[in-house]
Amino acid sequence: MAKHLLTTSVGSFPKPNTLITARSQFRRAQISAQQLREAEQEATRQVIALQEALDIDIFVHGEMERGDMVAYFAENWQGFSQSLPVRSYGNRYYKKPIVENVVSLGNSVGLTVDAWKRASELTSHPVKGMLTGPYTICDWSFNAYYPDRRSLVMDLAQLVHEEAMALARAGAQYIQIDEPAISTRPDELELAIEAMAVVTHNLPAKTISHICYGDFETILPGLYDLPVDQLDLEAANQHFALLDLLARYPWPKSKELALGVVDVHSHRVESVDEVKAGIRRALEIVPIENLLIDPDCGLKTRTWEEAEEKLRVMQKAVEEIRQEDGLR
Amino acid sequence: MKTTVMGSYPKILAGSGPSVRSAIQRFEKGLITPTQLFETYSEVTRRVLDQAFSANLDRTTDGQIRWYDLFDPVVRDLDNVHSAGLIRLFDNNFYVRHPLITGRLQYQGGTLAAWSREAASYSRVPLKVALPGLFTFLDLQEDTSYGNTDNLLADLIDVMRLAVRHLASTGVVEVQWDEPSLAYSSSSWSASRVQEAYKTLMDPEVEIEHSIALYWGKSSLWLDTLSQLPLSRISCDAVSEPRVLDILAVDKLNVAVGLGVIDARNVRMEAPEELIRIVEPVLRQQGDERTWIHPSCGLEFLPPDRAEQKIHLLRNIKLRINA
Ligand SMILES: [Zn+2]
Repeated sequence: MAKHLLTTSVGSFPKPNTLITARSQFRRAQISAQQLREAEQEATRQVIALQEALDIDIFVHGEMERGDMVAYFAENWQGFSQSLPVRSYGNRYYKKPIVENVVSLGNSVGLTVDAWKRASELTSHPVKGMLTGPYTICDWSFNAYYPDRRSLVMDLAQLVHEEAMALARAGAQYIQIDEPAISTRPDELELAIEAMAVVTHNLPAKTISHICYGDFETILPGLYDLPVDQLDLEAANQHFALLDLLARYPWPKSKELALGVVDVHSHRVESVDEVKAGIRRALEIVPIENLLIDPDCGLKTRTWEEAEEKLRVMQKAVEEIRQEDGLR
Repeated sequence: MKTTVMGSYPKILAGSGPSVRSAIQRFEKGLITPTQLFETYSEVTRRVLDQAFSANLDRTTDGQIRWYDLFDPVVRDLDNVHSAGLIRLFDNNFYVRHPLITGRLQYQGGTLAAWSREAASYSRVPLKVALPGLFTFLDLQEDTSYGNTDNLLADLIDVMRLAVRHLASTGVVEVQWDEPSLAYSSSSWSASRVQEAYKTLMDPEVEIEHSIALYWGKSSLWLDTLSQLPLSRISCDAVSEPRVLDILAVDKLNVAVGLGVIDARNVRMEAPEELIRIVEPVLRQQGDERTWIHPSCGLEFLPPDRAEQKIHLLRNIKLRINA
């Protein structure tokens, strides 16, 4: 019998203090690019070791080489410049990319492959290849060049597709294309779906898309047409209200759901019982073969200790359910 | 023609100078004192107010520099309302803590009035405060207590009347009710309900102007309804809905109109000639005295250099149109 309720993470992990120090030393030209790479690799090793220790099933590499999930691609691809910092909430800011020209990969074909490979070499677990979707890259950038959003999104879709193919060629079995912005404009859902079809076309890997912080009510059941094998959705943040919404429609048999069960924007660590209750509710809606469990979103906004605790609670909740229900 | 800004302003300024962002970081690391953090907020607020003066604005906010988000001071001033989980603010890559209601609303006051008094006593431009509109508040809150929208709305109106009464004594001349929720496509509030609610909210005994700001959607849907209220201005977002300018070039409103023609969510700089071209037909219909121009929404969605440039663009256009 295959293992049930596989656990995973959405993408980013908190950067260990040693890496934060290395990054600021690099900015002040006190260490070389090579030394920074080594610090990132050491941090990746810690991320992998933590997932091993917690017995998580499908790994992420933790994105130690990335700052922001959109800016990382914009900084490396052509056609973008960078703005001064813009606030996203609280005291968190990001340098929002500005599209100033036609976008292209430039010399950065296979940008994400190296980090994926190096993480994969550290473990026997599958490690997800992590990309940001074309709709979100467009939505989280200032468009100062393209005549409309559609033309920018479709150009970006081609670039993300090429990057995804490079990951698949390198051996990635899981490729996640995050589209957190998709839930913001119901009238553009069609465009996002069309773009995702370009990204996942002929892609020989299991495809996943993570979506968060939106009005799911307005994009369901249309979202089920997003051409990926697995939807990864947050639920803990709204006390699992998402599940009531999902219950309105039959869950599509061909799709997996990775359900977020711990809130990544709160310091409070959930109890095992409340996480189990959320999972049990999900099992009433989604067949057990189709359900995976993970945190709501990337863990990078938490401290290392908070992230570890939240993952531990998540894993414990899953293990207790597996045991109680006689699952593997 | 007059000029104003809408609400928020970047908390870090272009160029060198005090920064709320680094002050908070330093505060969290224990490197500065609570007083130093408090003073950084004050200093940045004063810079924003200075800039409003040098841009020759006719009305300004304090940039909401002390505010965590649009709900912050309201939540602080009400009992049984808490700052809860982050939610995306409409279609922006920007997140706010939604108000969580756990009991009957009770006004305690203090914060908003104190912050506003501080800004009003410094500002050389008449000061307004932009608050979450009734229906935007209702759409984004999480109610675990009332279970009945009518009762919640009635209490919300009541506590906001108290907040406004308190504000009127601080030197603030206008309360701007931000209603992106009404303009946004999924809004389902009826015209009569909106009209009734705002009528009740505006206390004729209290001397202060009320305006409503519609943005991030179709402002035109609400022009008829809102122009029957004793408002000092209805602000529209002509970037999200350029067609609203065509309507305003034909239909004269009973109240002054604000034209959000400067895109506060894109770094692309508007050409002054083009802005003047699109604004002029509205000016002719509504009249000089009753037409304002402003950014489409708060400027915090822009990097600080662009926010500053767009404020100066307002000055430039005003000079040319009023010449
Ligand atoms: Zn997310």
